[in-house]
Amino acid sequence: MTFTLAYALTGLFWLGAALLSLGLVRRAALWRQGRAAPVALGWLMTIPKRYFVDLHHVVARDPFIAKAHVAVAGGAVAVLALAALNYGLMLYLPALDALMLLAALLMLFGAVLVRSRRKAPPARLSKGAWNRLPKSLLAFAVGSALAALLALSGNAFGAAAQGLALLALAGLVLGGAELALGVGLGGPMKHAVAGLLHLAFHPRQDRFSGDKRSTDLKPINLVGKDYGVETPADFAWNRLLSFDACVQCGKCEAACPAYAAGQPLNPKKLIQDMVTGMAAGSGPAYAGNPHPGQAGKVRQGNPHQPIVGGLLDPETLWSCTTCRACVEECPMLIEHVDTVVSLRRHVTLTRGEVPGKGREALANLRDTDTVGGYPLAARYHWAIDLNVPVLLPGEHTDWLLMAGEGAFDMRYQRALRALVKVLKAAGLKVAVLGEVEPDCGDLARRLGDEATFQQLAGKMMNTLGRYRFNRIVTPDPHLFHCLKNEYPVLGGRYDVEHHSQVLADLLERGAVPLKADAAPLPATTYHDPCYLGRYNGETDAPRRVFKGIGIKVVEMERSGRKGRCCGWGGGASFTDIPGERRIPDMRMDDIRATGAEQVAVACPNCTAMLEGVVGPRPEVVELAELVAARLAN
Amino acid sequence: MSTPMLKVAVLVAPAIHPVSGRPCTHPADSAALALGLKLAGSSERLTVLYAGAAADEALAGYLAQGASCVTVLPTAEDADIAPLLAAQIADAELVLCGTRAGGGQGSALLPYQLAEELEAPLLPDALSVAIKGGSVEIEQFLPKGQRRSLAAALPVVVTVHERAVPALPYSHARKEAGKVRRLMPVAAKAAEWRYEPAGRRARPLVAASRASGHERMLGAIAADDGKTTGLVVKQGDPVEKAQVLLDYLRDHQLVDF
Ligand code: SF4
Ligand code: SF4
Repeated sequence: MTFTLAYALTGLFWLGAALLSLGLVRRAALWRQGRAAPVALGWLMTIPKRYFVDLHHVVARDPFIAKAHVAVAGGAVAVLALAALNYGLMLYLPALDALMLLAALLMLFGAVLVRSRRKAPPARLSKGAWNRLPKSLLAFAVGSALAALLALSGNAFGAAAQGLALLALAGLVLGGAELALGVGLGGPMKHAVAGLLHLAFHPRQDRFSGDKRSTDLKPINLVGKDYGVETPADFAWNRLLSFDACVQCGKCEAACPAYAAGQPLNPKKLIQDMVTGMAAGSGPAYAGNPHPGQAGKVRQGNPHQPIVGGLLDPETLWSCTTCRACVEECPMLIEHVDTVVSLRRHVTLTRGEVPGKGREALANLRDTDTVGGYPLAARYHWAIDLNVPVLLPGEHTDWLLMAGEGAFDMRYQRALRALVKVLKAAGLKVAVLGEVEPDCGDLARRLGDEATFQQLAGKMMNTLGRYRFNRIVTPDPHLFHCLKNEYPVLGGRYDVEHHSQVLADLLERGAVPLKADAAPLPATTYHDPCYLGRYNGETDAPRRVFKGIGIKVVEMERSGRKGRCCGWGGGASFTDIPGERRIPDMRMDDIRATGAEQVAVACPNCTAMLEGVVGPRPEVVELAELVAARLAN
Repeated sequence: MSTPMLKVAVLVAPAIHPVSGRPCTHPADSAALALGLKLAGSSERLTVLYAGAAADEALAGYLAQGASCVTVLPTAEDADIAPLLAAQIADAELVLCGTRAGGGQGSALLPYQLAEELEAPLLPDALSVAIKGGSVEIEQFLPKGQRRSLAAALPVVVTVHERAVPALPYSHARKEAGKVRRLMPVAAKAAEWRYEPAGRRARPLVAASRASGHERMLGAIAADDGKTTGLVVKQGDPVEKAQVLLDYLRDHQLVDF
């Protein structure tokens, strides 16, 4: 009897393996519709490290599910490996059966945990096929445990053995089908295979190299007429693969400010829309939250049909603030922002259909090198009485202060003046570029206008090349990010620091003369700019500044790398897609929740967005203003 | 509504950006181009023409706004271009251009000269253009929200107001795909401009009163002492008070009912 079961298991194993391979070939054919991408097969060797370090690093933020996943996936992999050895190769060794029993029990434990999470699932989780998955896992775990037990027990079960054997087989068939057929049919278990391959062939290999954050948008070859992504087939094949890795956990959805504001963007649904397009709608129906305001809309897609207008409303695309909260949270390391920007690029470059004030801003950038259409000569008007030298070719300065677009904003000019005062008090040799400083192109790039970005970047690098300075300091995290992370591939390498970093160092060195007696300071909280915190990992420097001037910060629940966007980024304040709420209002509610009387900011755009919140609210103060207020006279 | 075989010519010229002084598209020329694209239906029947000395890059904006080809008639800066343009577009049934160029002499005379050369009627300042059989009907822009319908038989020269239709959005791909085609330079006689000193000097406005703004404001607003021109109405029911206000507004011609 046991031997019949053993043979059945061998048959089942190879049947499953064959089906899985067929499914994989089928799925791979979908991925292969994409454009070529430079990859190396050797990258497959990186999977274990990336899985256990990089991926687990994200999953571990939710310890419960991390534990459950380790148990269920570890157990399942062990069961499969042992089954391959023992039954696939027909060894039929009892020792391996014993190990398989242990592995199956581990998996069973995990599956029970996973199932319990589904009892009262958080709203972000998808239902449908994803609700079925824990049951399939249970079936498989029970089936394999039973099969191992039967193999070990000899004839101990007597007459019951036959019934139990059938039960075991049923469990293995039902549960095994989830994996064997799931990959080919696009079921939930495709995440295991696609997820592992995605780790190897991730489009951003530099994400895994040490502590370098890979947050820069990659240039496209405009001369070669690469105008971004129009149809699913325009994505590189490893991007298509990455979409298949999504486990619909909705972590991105829960973090997305646009989603929370009721704007028509749900990052999870966005990724699933891409899957629908790639697979031409075959596969289980999406059973998660829709893009807000679009419940019940059924959309068809096709690998060779334009995405925007078909699968996606343009409003969905333009709601994104490129804040990277979704990317930060995604356990499968999927790159939502790259996806959004690739699609935007096509719309902007080929049709120019940027909504709201976006079009005007881009025209201004092309015509005047400023977002607001200001005369360049006015950029440093606020510094006219501060005696800041304008750098001339041939002269040299230690620090080049670049004010960016915030220089045209009357509110932010106060912050800039404060910054100059502090830098001067600390004895730094600072100069500005005056009227030759163009825009860095950040906004153009996020709005998908890569042509204008590359043009502005060229202009900026050209300009900077004519001057001699040691380092650049800027209070604008967007300018900072562009100079630091996005110019190097274009050939511009600069030593650039955010003003929070410079201020923190100065304070720690005791270089800023401070007033001795600090008047009691109002309770203060700090809003992390996305382009400083998440894009550059710099959450520490601003807090060091607060420490340096004796301010104790009341942290918001969502702060640091988990900070919530102010709503400006990615040109979202220009495209201004209507929602039910405004993102800066929600952020102000976060601020109010701390009970702080003032909120410190470290970015001209956060300043503008938060200052724009109407009604009674905490004061908005810039980091540099706080330091300047403590300056000794 | 476009008749299937209408031949359209659109005249464009680079403008000077009011802030940066760089060449850019002019909103009225862009509107003319957008109208032309709509009315011609296909780019073969649409000629986009520029006469002047500007560089090709200065015209790129019009390519990005949908012109598949801009034909350039290279001339000297001060050439009299009306006859040259007229010769170039003699077979066009509808000629569209912005009301006034944003560069060059910007005298807004060119459409008139051109209409004269072509012996065609001119319909100025169009907000909308409709082709009805063999004639053109436009809605003309007039100040203070006034509008007027004008019509003329084809061929016609129409100048287009910048608010007529939104220009096609700027597209880098269209710019790259579009071409600037240069014709052989033509020697043209310089425009005959006669320069003479301006006859009258602009007279500076004389303020009616030398009092400061604050003082004048105090004079205008009402006070109880009755010394000022203002009036404080405290008696009467709301209807009577409203009547006083209405009378005031009527006296000063601020309402006309
Ligand atoms: S994209 Fe990532 S975070 Fe969002 S649902 Fe999918 S796996 Fe989860
Ligand atoms: S980048 Fe921010 S706004 Fe855009 S989808 Fe992700 S979380 Fe939402």
